[in-house]
Amino acid sequence: MLDGLRELGVAFGGFMTPHTLFNVLWATFLGIVIGALPGLTATMGVALLTTLTFSMPHTEAIMVLICIYVGAIYGGSRSAILLNIPGTPASAASTLDGYPLARQGLAGRAMGISTSGSWLGTLFGILCLALLTPVLSELALGFQSFEMFWIAVFGVVVAGTLAGGDPLKGYIAGFLGLWIATIGQEPHYNYQRYAFGFTDLAGGIGLLPALVGAYGVAEVLSAMRGPTVKAVINKIDSIVPRIEDVLKYWRTIFRSGAIGVWIGILPGLGEDAAAWSSYAAARRASKEKEKFGKGSIEGLMAAETGEASSVPGAIIPVLTLALPGSAPAAVLMAAMMIHGLNPGPNLMLEAPQFFYQIIAMLLIADMSKLIFGFVLVRPLIKILLVPRERLMPVVFVLCVVGAFAITSRVFDIYVMLVFGLIGFVMRELKFNMAPLILGLVLGDLLEKNLTRGLVLSGGSLTPFFTRPVSAVLAALTIISVLWSIPAVSKGARRLVRRQPQSG
Amino acid sequence: MAENDQLLPHEVPAPPRTDLWIAVVVFVFGTAAAWLAFRMPTYVEQKGEIYTAPGLVPGIYAVVMVLLSIWLGWRAIRQGALRNQAANLQNNESPPAIDMRLTLAAAVCLLFVVGLIGRVPFWLAAAIFVTMFTSLFEWQSDQPVSLRLRRIGEAALLGLATGIAVTLIFEKVFYVRLP
Repeated sequence: MLDGLRELGVAFGGFMTPHTLFNVLWATFLGIVIGALPGLTATMGVALLTTLTFSMPHTEAIMVLICIYVGAIYGGSRSAILLNIPGTPASAASTLDGYPLARQGLAGRAMGISTSGSWLGTLFGILCLALLTPVLSELALGFQSFEMFWIAVFGVVVAGTLAGGDPLKGYIAGFLGLWIATIGQEPHYNYQRYAFGFTDLAGGIGLLPALVGAYGVAEVLSAMRGPTVKAVINKIDSIVPRIEDVLKYWRTIFRSGAIGVWIGILPGLGEDAAAWSSYAAARRASKEKEKFGKGSIEGLMAAETGEASSVPGAIIPVLTLALPGSAPAAVLMAAMMIHGLNPGPNLMLEAPQFFYQIIAMLLIADMSKLIFGFVLVRPLIKILLVPRERLMPVVFVLCVVGAFAITSRVFDIYVMLVFGLIGFVMRELKFNMAPLILGLVLGDLLEKNLTRGLVLSGGSLTPFFTRPVSAVLAALTIISVLWSIPAVSKGARRLVRRQPQSG
Repeated sequence: MAENDQLLPHEVPAPPRTDLWIAVVVFVFGTAAAWLAFRMPTYVEQKGEIYTAPGLVPGIYAVVMVLLSIWLGWRAIRQGALRNQAANLQNNESPPAIDMRLTLAAAVCLLFVVGLIGRVPFWLAAAIFVTMFTSLFEWQSDQPVSLRLRRIGEAALLGLATGIAVTLIFEKVFYVRLP
């Protein structure tokens, strides 16, 4: 334990330079602004800044991206409270009680609650990351191709089942993402799959251009349809968080933090699922249920704590299993790979200091977010009123730069456009994007481990179902699929309710 | 998972007729992808194993998509997709009209990528695009001419500032290549 604290101290020391702290400040500020502006998302922000940080040393680059991520998830609460429009999907739950509080003349108090809830949530998540990552890494070191295959399949299936909406469409999106990942040269014979003679297609579909398209361009198109935003709230009361709010709702904070971390760990669910689940749990357990939806301090605190704690939660599977817990975490994982880091079970062996650096980065980003939470209130109101007609074209220009910069291929800009169109259309057709992106991210991992496993077993599928961890993962995958069938889940619930009566 | 009274936008179900069309499109796409996959060489003659064949994994994905599309289509038909159109529209909503703002935004973005990038310096392409986009969407024919001209001037300033700032920051400060 002392060694760990020493390593953490070394990591902190490495970041305490004027240059790094300057990067922390501008990145957190930019993240909060991105999160606050409706139409811009955390995923888009992290994807675009991955390009900007391409030439930075890897620790500096990941630090900037984490600050953007943490700031953007927090920033969405600003517009949720002041405009009744969530800045990011994760802040949708905050509108339910944040905006009514603002209408009651308590906008400042609402922002103070969201700042304290978000800060505490991230701290809780960091603690869980520090405790769980070494344990999960140790466990994952024993995984072979058979287990890694099922982890990839489980990730895609769970994202389809649990991300909200129609699970069947979730599975279609997931398998579409997996299929898209097969375009290009395959690893055994370098055969060019689905390239149709085009050299660019033979190079495959880049993850970053696809993400920028699906989360950037699609949002630009959606934003141009939306109504013009007007600020209703002009007067802001005191924004300093009250200690009595934190002490009164400490159970809610812990519960929401735990829910947020758990949902963050589950692949593809994301911060919005964490916020809603924490909110719903708080309402169920609350003694003041009637206040929820009308300006409940507890409701706002639960939503903000849950979404904030899911940020470190989503990074846990990235570090241990190379499995992103959310879309921004998927981009973060891609950025780590671009910078030569190898997320997954071997990361703790190859670069053990990086684990401590991640903890230090999250802590520094959380403190920076707390500072800006007090300082940025009034300036942010002005920023929120920038017309979309002026903001969206600038965002699109940045999306083009982001798509092009990593590999310098104009083809990637076209990929971005195509995925922007796919993302927009899929949203209109009530598809969740998370399974598609997860399929794209995990496709390579799934295929390599499937074929490697089959080579190891001489073509037999038996080890995929008989090795202990593989069997458990296979069973969980099958249960997830079956549970998504309404007839099966209703039947199972009926069976469980009948059993106590017959016993 | 989202246990709340309000459904998020992607959780609101689509009409059954829409789902049926989705099923048809996915079925056709999946069938084509599967056919192309199974036409790929297997390299068995070169002593390769069948499970390393290039078309195996994408073929499996494509077949799964076909099966899922059949499930979706069957479900849509059970929900009344083949009944008349009125029954397929929920909550008495009218059929969606073409969104002019959306179409215009998409068209201008496409023009930027296909028509400007690579043909003029990036800073100029970005400046023209931002100016055009902002001017088009802020144009209101009922405004006085002086106000309209002022809006165009502001749009041009914004465009120029964007083009120059993005080029300077990305190329000179962060050493990122621009298109």
